Amino acid sequence: MIKFTLNGRTIETDASPAIRLLDLIREEFELIGTKEGCGEGECGACSVFVNNLLQNSCLIPIGSIEGADVQTIEGIMETEQFKILDESYSEAGGVQCGYCIPGMVMASAALLSKNPHPSEEEIREGISGNLCRCTGYNMIVNAINLAAKKGDGIWQKK
Amino acid sequence: MAEKITSYRFDHLDDTLSQLNKEDCAIMAGGTDVMVLHKSRRGAAPKIPKPIIFIDHLSELKRVYQNEKDLHIGACCTYSELLEERLIPVPLKDAIRTIAAPAIRNRGTLGGNICNASPAGDTLPLLYVFNAKLVLRSIHGDRIMAISDFIQGPRRIGRNQNEILAEIILPSVLEEGAHVVFEKVGNRNADAIAKVGFAGYIRINDARIDDVRFAFGAVGPTMVRSMDIEKTLVGKSVPLADADIGQVVAAFGKIIRPIDDQRSTAAYRKTVSLNLLRYFLSMKHYQPT
Repeated sequence: MIKFTLNGRTIETDASPAIRLLDLIREEFELIGTKEGCGEGECGACSVFVNNLLQNSCLIPIGSIEGADVQTIEGIMETEQFKILDESYSEAGGVQCGYCIPGMVMASAALLSKNPHPSEEEIREGISGNLCRCTGYNMIVNAINLAAKKGDGIWQKK
Repeated sequence: MAEKITSYRFDHLDDTLSQLNKEDCAIMAGGTDVMVLHKSRRGAAPKIPKPIIFIDHLSELKRVYQNEKDLHIGACCTYSELLEERLIPVPLKDAIRTIAAPAIRNRGTLGGNICNASPAGDTLPLLYVFNAKLVLRSIHGDRIMAISDFIQGPRRIGRNQNEILAEIILPSVLEEGAHVVFEKVGNRNADAIAKVGFAGYIRINDARIDDVRFAFGAVGPTMVRSMDIEKTLVGKSVPLADADIGQVVAAFGKIIRPIDDQRSTAAYRKTVSLNLLRYFLSMKHYQPT
């Protein structure tokens, strides 16, 4: 049995410890906001938080997350921070097909919680592990910049 | 879901080592290489051929400490943890910042990068020029091996079945006034596997070279380093004469024999390697870091 916290709920699963966290959250818990892109840690579509750190769920065997606190995009949707990111991405035109966006939003939240006033270079570094194939990065960078300003003071709140 | 496999996750290193002494296991630290290596179709668990033993949570493998002038780094420290660690030398931090992207740096470990023994392992050129030594721990105690002996070929390492890479020692790194550079050439700044990696190390005393070391990554089955060529520069004064630079570059030109693959060509890799070397040797001043 592997026991961990998923979006605030205590979970126990008897799935194989080699199963990817990505598959567990999508298949067993039907949290399908987390996407599979490359499956090799290069695209960031599967980004989640493990103990508040941005990680690629396609590279995590669930045996590694015993006792950990896992949050998916669904888990942060009720937060003030998410609402600001949601608004800013819409306003900046940062979303086109949307496939990369849950991962981009997770990476944005991770960046801003660590560095609430990032430079453009720091924003690009923050999303450097996330690939987008249609919107273009400039609009996404603008969205994060906008979110930093709109949400001034909230990023480091728990 | 997939069939059950055997796995272990002990609270302490002792129990982990006892299990490894009984059974050959796949050691899982961050998993960022292992999970890709054994990847199967979408939705299915990776096919890992041995029982898995998880070690990424073991605090015994996450200590960073100073022992006289030597720096000891716990093998399971993630890249992000090392970036926050005061004792880690600046050139190593600079190199770590070129590895992957934030999400992978939150999982990948220094010990994992070594044990994966990729010809393109990002930290390896730097660890070679630091003369890194590795502490291999088993229930019988510790064994220390130079990194250049430990890495024997692509994915081939000198770890016995009952051992864990516990610590990486960077000898004398905390006192010497050496100038160290690290360069990585890849297709993309983030998440790229290197086409060429280069590390250079130089220590000057009174305008003369006391010690100089070079290591090249992704241009052979293991890192390319030559103490014979390095020795020819000891005692020379800086800035180096063009003839000396030319000789060293020509000597490495004979031993750097890269291959063509999906990431780059042999010709490109060789040219870039020698250019990086020439640039390093042509510097007018070297600043201790």
